[in-house]
Amino acid sequence: MVEQKSDTSHLYDGKTVRSSAPSRKKAAGRMKGSTEIPKDAIPEVHVPSVIESFFGGPIVTKTKFLPPDRVVQTLQMSAAIMLTLLSIVTFTVTPVSGTAWFWLSNAINQPGIGALIHLSLIAIGFIGGMYGIFQREQRAILISYVVLILVTIRFAGSKVEFGIDLLPDGEISQKLLLISYALFLVMYIELTSGIIRFSMLDKSIRTGEVYVMNVKKITRQYYRSLMITPLIAGLVALLTLMINLIIPTIVGLLGSDATATRLAESVELTSVYGVALGTAVVFMIVASAFAVNLPVRIAQMRENSGK
Amino acid sequence: MIEILTIGGLLVAWSRKSAMFASLAIALYLLGLVLRNQQLVTVAVVLLSFLTWAAFRTTNADVSSSGRRLEDENATGGIALQNLVALRKLSSARVFEDGEIDVSIRIQNKSNLSKVLEVRDRVPEVMRIKKGANYVLMELGPQRETEIAYTIEAPLRGFYTIGPVCIRIQDTFGLFHNEREIHLYDDFLVFPKMEDIKDALIKSRVPKIFTGAVNIRNPGEGSNFYNLREYVPGDAMKKVNWKATARSGGKLMVNEFERDAVSDIILLVDSRSVSETGPVSRNSLVYSTRAAASLAQYFLSRRDSVGVVVYGDEIVSVDRDTGKKQLYVILTKLAGAMAKGNTPLKVVTNRILPHINRGSPIIILSPLEDDPTIIDAVRDLRSRNFDVTILSPSSLEFEFDARRLDRTGYELLKTERDILMSELRGLGANVMDWEPDMLLNTALSGARGF
Repeated sequence: MVEQKSDTSHLYDGKTVRSSAPSRKKAAGRMKGSTEIPKDAIPEVHVPSVIESFFGGPIVTKTKFLPPDRVVQTLQMSAAIMLTLLSIVTFTVTPVSGTAWFWLSNAINQPGIGALIHLSLIAIGFIGGMYGIFQREQRAILISYVVLILVTIRFAGSKVEFGIDLLPDGEISQKLLLISYALFLVMYIELTSGIIRFSMLDKSIRTGEVYVMNVKKITRQYYRSLMITPLIAGLVALLTLMINLIIPTIVGLLGSDATATRLAESVELTSVYGVALGTAVVFMIVASAFAVNLPVRIAQMRENSGK
Repeated sequence: MIEILTIGGLLVAWSRKSAMFASLAIALYLLGLVLRNQQLVTVAVVLLSFLTWAAFRTTNADVSSSGRRLEDENATGGIALQNLVALRKLSSARVFEDGEIDVSIRIQNKSNLSKVLEVRDRVPEVMRIKKGANYVLMELGPQRETEIAYTIEAPLRGFYTIGPVCIRIQDTFGLFHNEREIHLYDDFLVFPKMEDIKDALIKSRVPKIFTGAVNIRNPGEGSNFYNLREYVPGDAMKKVNWKATARSGGKLMVNEFERDAVSDIILLVDSRSVSETGPVSRNSLVYSTRAAASLAQYFLSRRDSVGVVVYGDEIVSVDRDTGKKQLYVILTKLAGAMAKGNTPLKVVTNRILPHINRGSPIIILSPLEDDPTIIDAVRDLRSRNFDVTILSPSSLEFEFDARRLDRTGYELLKTERDILMSELRGLGANVMDWEPDMLLNTALSGARGF
């Protein structure tokens, strides 16, 4: 015999409708005796680490990306090429001499170990970077940045030294090589961060969080900036590095040839302090341009032109 | 509904990336000087040049990085968004809960330069974007305009504002951004959702002089048959029941009808702080306002006169009246009901009693919590022959469903609540413990003992 239901659940989508209080006797029968706190009553709390507290959040966020779109793929390829070039240039412009591992290996009479560590660091930077680029793993990318910068840190004289003897001895060509090394490093950092940025943007577009009008124009502008900005940065860097030639030339033009020659031969101007002086001069000019609000004025002039 | 922009605040910001670039550049520069290492110094110089150029490129006449805020400025010169205009249009300024509003924003670039803009139209947090996006990244050509369209869904009643429109310009590398707010606002109102009520089974025991749609079982001018009686001079001939006259042996008999009357219905909505206990979308106040709106619509459609009293930190009332206009007045008041204060029910009843006709039905929508005067207030109403119905959305259920209350606490509080309800029932009030997801109709039937 089928037992008849006495409640109203069949009428209200399985909900029992009562006009009186529910039976506490029934509820009491279901109650547990323990005073244990239910698991779902404890909220999940993320306690930030010391580093996270210092930076105000995680340095690299854990983000799951969708498969890379065309822009991201292009950036990945560019970053990979840039990393390869950077690794080669790093190897050529950074000799093992003067590094901490060189000093340590010499201390134990095993100079080969220093060179091995040096090469290993460059290899780690390269492999880690490649992995980070194609897996879009920010941790690996960060490690490669750190390692590739670390290999350049060495106690050396002001004179530029290269890891390979075959490289040119001329001052300008040496400086150009240095600038290209710095540009490759900065471009590598920019391209890898671009990969993450555009992956995030692509995800936001595909999830409908953001709508992008004229995607092609926006990406084209980014590519254009990737071409122009390094050129500008390289030019500024060249100016600062060439200060030991520029100042004597200016002084020479003003008429004092002897002073110009003395300046050109001065150790201070040809050393790293000359570069520091050049930096100070160039960035003082830039700072004064910002101080007089020049960028805004130029922008206003451009916007209002032809009105 | 179309508004032209005004000018908003200014925000200049470095991104985390630019901050890291700058820190790295400074660190490498100093380290390079200390170690007399030209490679490090060169990297630092390139990084600094990179940053400077990006900052230079980000600068925009409209969203300028002058570092001044609008409040300190007379809104002239480089601060003004001279060349960007925003216009917004809403499909409707009044919707019901779960209703949709179509929003369209037109952005015009009046300058001779192309701009890459990020435009975010700020939408209230509780709103859901149903279609389109309120956050758009665009490249807007010189002397061009574009339209952004999106649809929002309004899940909760209330007064809301869309705006301001945030415009952000950042360099292509994402190093710096300058943000501006266009103070363009549009207000809209979300009314509580209404449920169809078949028959609330509530009517006044005291007739009013105007005839209405509710039958009160007293003879008078109405539509339903009540009785037969002998003709008295003055009765209209159309009321004569000829069949009954023939049967009565010559006596002229006339039909008597039940008198229809207009009821005064008073809805008391509890909007004290305690009524918002529970999740935002499922709490006592949400349910009470929906019920009040549904009841008001039902009674007004019967040509009853309906008044609403919302009490929280103060007593807000809508005087009794009839008609569609009254419904919108009530809905507007209910839309704006905020959970605040702790005015006891007794204070409310003392205030309104002198102004209500005796016998009028009073419907109280309250969680019945944290108010020691409830019993006194209901006793007072009952002693004056008011028909009291209490619909009590239980915050315990909301809390328990949201797992904010453990079983023991729930049972304890439930027992207290049941005792209070039994006491109220003992006073002759129709009380219903309104559980979440129960239809209002069902709850009302339960309250009336059906």
